Amino acid sequence: MILPLIKGLATTLRYCFSKPITLQYPEEKRTPYPRFRGHPELVINEDGSRRCVACTLCMVVCPSNAIRGIVPAEGPHHEKYPVQFTIDLTRCIFCGFCQEACPKAAIKLNNLYELAQYDKEVLILDIERATQKKPEMRAPDWL
Amino acid sequence: MINLTIDGRAIQAEPGKTILEVARENGIYIPFLCYHPALKPIGSCRICVVEVKPGPPRPLPACATYVAEGQEVVTTSERLTAIRQELMKLVLINHALECPICDKGGECELQDLTHALGVPEVDLTAIPATSPPDYESLLVERHTDRCVTCGRCVRLCRDHVGAMAINFMQRGYFTELGSGLLPLDCEFCGSCIDICPVGALINKQFKYRARAWEVTKTEMVCPFCGGGCSYELHLKDGEIMRVYNGETALLCGRGRFGWPVITSPERLRTPLVRVNGELQEATWEEALAAAAGGLKAVLEEAGPGALYGVGSPRATNEANYLFQKFFRAGLGTNNLDNPGRLHYVKALSALGQVFGWPEVKEADGPHPKPPAYTSPFSVKEETKGSGFTFVLGSLEELPRADAALILGADLTPELPPLGWGVNAARQKDDFQLVVANPRGTKFDRWATVSLRYKPGAERLVVAGLMKALLTAHPDLTPAIPAQGLDDLKESLKKFSLKEYASRAGVEAADLEAAAAILAKAQAPAILFGTELLNQDKGEMNALALADLFLLVGKPGTPGSALYPVAEKANTRGVCELGVLPDRLPGLLPLDSPAAPAFWGEHKPVQTPGPTLLEVLDKLEQDEADAPRALWLLGGDLLRWLPNRSRTEKLLSKVKFMVVQDAFLTDTAKLADVVLPVAIHAEQEGSFISSTGQLGVLKAALGTDGVLPDWQIICRLASALGVPLSYRTPAQIFAEFARQIPLFAGLAPRKVVGRTGIPAELKGTFVLFDLDISLPGRRPFTLIIGKVLQHSGSFTTHEPCGTLVVTPEAAVSLNPEDAAQLELKAGDKARVISSHGEVEAKVALDPLLPAGVAFLPEHFAQPAAQMLTLNSNLVRVSIQKA
Ligand code: SF4
Ligand code: SF4
Ligand code: SF4
Ligand code: SF4
Ligand code: SF4
Ligand code: FES
Repeated sequence: MILPLIKGLATTLRYCFSKPITLQYPEEKRTPYPRFRGHPELVINEDGSRRCVACTLCMVVCPSNAIRGIVPAEGPHHEKYPVQFTIDLTRCIFCGFCQEACPKAAIKLNNLYELAQYDKEVLILDIERATQKKPEMRAPDWL
Repeated sequence: MINLTIDGRAIQAEPGKTILEVARENGIYIPFLCYHPALKPIGSCRICVVEVKPGPPRPLPACATYVAEGQEVVTTSERLTAIRQELMKLVLINHALECPICDKGGECELQDLTHALGVPEVDLTAIPATSPPDYESLLVERHTDRCVTCGRCVRLCRDHVGAMAINFMQRGYFTELGSGLLPLDCEFCGSCIDICPVGALINKQFKYRARAWEVTKTEMVCPFCGGGCSYELHLKDGEIMRVYNGETALLCGRGRFGWPVITSPERLRTPLVRVNGELQEATWEEALAAAAGGLKAVLEEAGPGALYGVGSPRATNEANYLFQKFFRAGLGTNNLDNPGRLHYVKALSALGQVFGWPEVKEADGPHPKPPAYTSPFSVKEETKGSGFTFVLGSLEELPRADAALILGADLTPELPPLGWGVNAARQKDDFQLVVANPRGTKFDRWATVSLRYKPGAERLVVAGLMKALLTAHPDLTPAIPAQGLDDLKESLKKFSLKEYASRAGVEAADLEAAAAILAKAQAPAILFGTELLNQDKGEMNALALADLFLLVGKPGTPGSALYPVAEKANTRGVCELGVLPDRLPGLLPLDSPAAPAFWGEHKPVQTPGPTLLEVLDKLEQDEADAPRALWLLGGDLLRWLPNRSRTEKLLSKVKFMVVQDAFLTDTAKLADVVLPVAIHAEQEGSFISSTGQLGVLKAALGTDGVLPDWQIICRLASALGVPLSYRTPAQIFAEFARQIPLFAGLAPRKVVGRTGIPAELKGTFVLFDLDISLPGRRPFTLIIGKVLQHSGSFTTHEPCGTLVVTPEAAVSLNPEDAAQLELKAGDKARVISSHGEVEAKVALDPLLPAGVAFLPEHFAQPAAQMLTLNSNLVRVSIQKA
């Protein structure tokens, strides 16, 4: 009868003296796992140019119509690139299909997860805001 | 019928078809690459291989193997898959694989084949063969690194377009498509783009603007010429992306690349009303009130006869029908005509004299509730047709002609589909071609006999041909009952064959050779164009040709027919719908028993109204019954009527003028009210092509301020006390189709007179005059005619795509003539006739004989009609400017 009680107390005591599991969010932030799927963004090359060639495959594959308004243009060397590109994070379901469909590795899901906003408009990214600033994964402090 | 099995399935097939065709008809998939339904098979890619028993042990190409009785065909087996995959790997070695940016991506046959054949990977390597893409050529972009050397474009351009502009260069693995290391210098029809299975040939207008799967497709009829080509209009977000013809691939440059003209900033978007002598923008209500007010004042003052109407060969059948309805049922007059008066109407009138006007008796119907744009009449056993409609040919049968005479027409610029038809006909070994034209044309190359006669000598050529025919075959009898042959023979005695030849400027031996071809032919076709009809004696020219056809033609044999060119999209329709002073809709005579149906409450008027040209004479002579008001349904009279300064003077005598047009033309600038109209895919309606095909326009674009012609006519007529009200153009079609038994069996894409109506034909030889003198003593004969990239003035507005190819008009001269005048290409020359003069750039054209010059009619400047008197031929002198 008393034995289980002691067992429970021992567990409690053990946890009193071990490292806490709870994260003190938002003071403390969690680093996501490498394969975490945050929101999609347009990848840039070392020279700052976008990799996207406006093939619209990501738009086609997106199951929730979060990617739209890709407007292609022709550059001076006949290259194709987007001049408009909208990623609607209010629709994105973070499935990663776009990343998978992209033949140019030009769209990737980053590791951002703090997407809550007071104003929905902020979540509709135009081509500038949908593009990485640095040719690497974005740190979770920009939005 | 032949019995065979494909994959064990018993199938009946027509003899003469290939295994691939039969399989496709029966929904059995056989992959293919170099085959295209519009082309003759060459069996070069071997992707379509199948096992055939009985047959050789090796697989055979399905596209080039004909079906035979008792054949057993296997379309899939391990061996076949292995062969196909291996071939695909060879095709894919060093293929560019830039699908993300390739415009073909999504509709690429190579992509589809790779999927269908499950090509896992390309485990072969070869040295890269890279030739840079051709970005230089106009309108078409070539990426040889995407080419699969199927040869479809080469065959299409050579055999059907007849331009022979592209071919393969190098050999073997290095084979590449080229045009002699230079940018394309061709007809810029873009047909090669649509036939290319891959993205090796790209439409520059479409490039990077949309992906293949993003477009919505609307089936359309081309509004640019009387060819009546149908194509798909591809739109994205309500904007036109491209014009596409996946079926036959054939379209001409203006049809394929001309559409941007509808977005032209020069388009009228608001009605204009003349206030204090100036045209000012107005609302539709104001403009219609002003138009109605002005017309009402004239009608009240001088009676219904004071208004004259000119219909439009660019407006739909429905609009033109309403237009004539307003005049006949509304005003009770025959005061209307159409600009075809200058050319096509002359052909109709000549044909009417020789073969009789068309009539269909005992058609079955009208049946209630036919489908949209379908005649409520059908053809039954007792149905009988007669008249010239049944000697006019359809495009479909032209390739079956075994001889053709092209006279007085530079065929491709005038009506490209007739050119394609002749090209298709010459794929047959026994086909023989006679080309007669004062200028050299594309078809001379394939002609057995080329007759280069003096400008205006068409009738002498025809008379010479008939003379030679009747001399060689004195008891030649026409294929249909005909009267007057003896009179004709008598009249031909006027000159000897030698005299005919020398007067026309050709060799008697050539006339004899040409006559022999026509006499021998089992299915001779005669094609003629506006170049000969536009002359003041155009009707005589057409009479001569109609006589010739009556003499040698084999009406009823497919391909043996007359092909007069009806220039604009609806030139034939505007006539068939009765926008003529002497004919009712369906080309019925004014005294037809069916006439009352067209006159509403009025008693049918049996006296014809004045023609457009007679109206001008009346205005010139200030006759009492000269019209005081004009209602023009489009058509820039100043631009098209000969002797422009006279037209200008006479039009200014008209008190009140209402013009409906898409652009502020020179004639519209003289108007009191200008009403902007919808064009192209902004409106619904139907056209009748030059070869009689009913084409249906669909409204796919927004109208942005303009209105379709039929709505304007309804509103203006109602304001004038003639209530016209319809919901849709289809309703208008249904109304007139009920009155026109000639259209029995007609439906979209069907051909007037080719709907299975048995025809009873007879003819009368009508004599024509042989006087070909052209007044004046100036040294050059100037021909005013058409160039390939333009259709009337419609295509001369920026940003029409064909303007990059032909941006302006130049007067063409024989190089030797030019050298004598010390003119070089690009110099400015003054062209002077006794009526006026224009300044034009000089172009050199070795195809022109000495003493003949050519000036295109399309452009505002130089205004070709400043020079003319009453014909498209005029004597001019040419000097350095
Ligand atoms: S799939 Fe990639 S290349 Fe294509 S549009 Fe999307 S981001 Fe751009
Ligand atoms: S031609 Fe076809 S396979 Fe080749 S790059 Fe273009 S879309 Fe891809
Ligand atoms: S555009 Fe027409 S004429 Fe020119 S190469 Fe292609 S098919 Fe031939
Ligand atoms: S360009 Fe196109 S149509 Fe022409 S050979 Fe190459 S793949 Fe065939
Ligand atoms: S031939 Fe005539 S109808 Fe055909 S595409 Fe050209 S302009 Fe249009
Ligand atoms: S499709 Fe038959 S050989 Fe190419």
